[in-house]
Amino acid sequence: MDGLYTFLNENALYIVLLIALLVWAGIFAYLYRLDKKIRQIERSLKRREEK
Amino acid sequence: MNGIQKGMRIGLAVWLGLVILFAIAFPTVKDPQLWYEFPTIPGLGDKARILFFHVPTAWVTVIAFLVSMVYGIRYLARRNPDDDLRSVSSAGLGLLFCFLATVTGSVWAKFNWGSFWNWDPRETSIFILLLVYGAYFALRSAVESEEKRAALSAVYAVLAGVTVPFFVFIMPRIMSGLHPGAGGDPEGAGPVLEFKMSTNMLLIFFASLAGFTILYFWIWNLRVRVGRLELNNLEPFSTP
Repeated sequence: MDGLYTFLNENALYIVLLIALLVWAGIFAYLYRLDKKIRQIERSLKRREEK
Repeated sequence: MNGIQKGMRIGLAVWLGLVILFAIAFPTVKDPQLWYEFPTIPGLGDKARILFFHVPTAWVTVIAFLVSMVYGIRYLARRNPDDDLRSVSSAGLGLLFCFLATVTGSVWAKFNWGSFWNWDPRETSIFILLLVYGAYFALRSAVESEEKRAALSAVYAVLAGVTVPFFVFIMPRIMSGLHPGAGGDPEGAGPVLEFKMSTNMLLIFFASLAGFTILYFWIWNLRVRVGRLELNNLEPFSTP
């Protein structure tokens, strides 16, 4: 437990880095999927309109 | 999604990923010799790294509110509901980023100034800005007729947009405060980046600004498209 505490204490900056990268990856993946979904709906609506 | 659009999105992911990596992982040293070392800013140290993220959020706030104003003007000129949609989508994003800038700044203030909130001119001005745009959405929710709502909120977006440069760029600079760049700042009243950042910091800072700006336009585009789908589904498909 002591070792873990020292590890976290000494590498705080890299832990912050890891968390920031994870948050960005999450936001990006969410936006990317959302973009894809919106595009699919746009296409299907367009097809329905053409019929 | 075609190949180019896909590539651009992945490119943005990598771009901002690298910005985060460099901004946080580059070491701060007293006397930088190597290209990846940041100079230690007296009194800030590692806490100076906030500027790579906090300033771009404030920057995106300004862009979003100004875009909202521009589309408000366009709505008043052409009366096209799509302009209203663009305007309100941008104002919403601006409010979100304004909130993020406030929260990140407040957390930083706790560790640098000793309290989360002490009504520094910068804190006061961003608080007023949050109120101004909070009122924008209160106004929108209070008007039933769509055309009237669009026209009123377009006028309000223009009036509110005019105040943005004052609250972001002028008031906090002429009043003395603790925020970097405030009037009475011992090293001059200019923005912090002019005199304290080294070349490698400047590069990462501007890369971050560019990345955040592209991210804003992407999210704005998504919001506008969702709004259009909504409009199309509530009305016959032939509406623009």
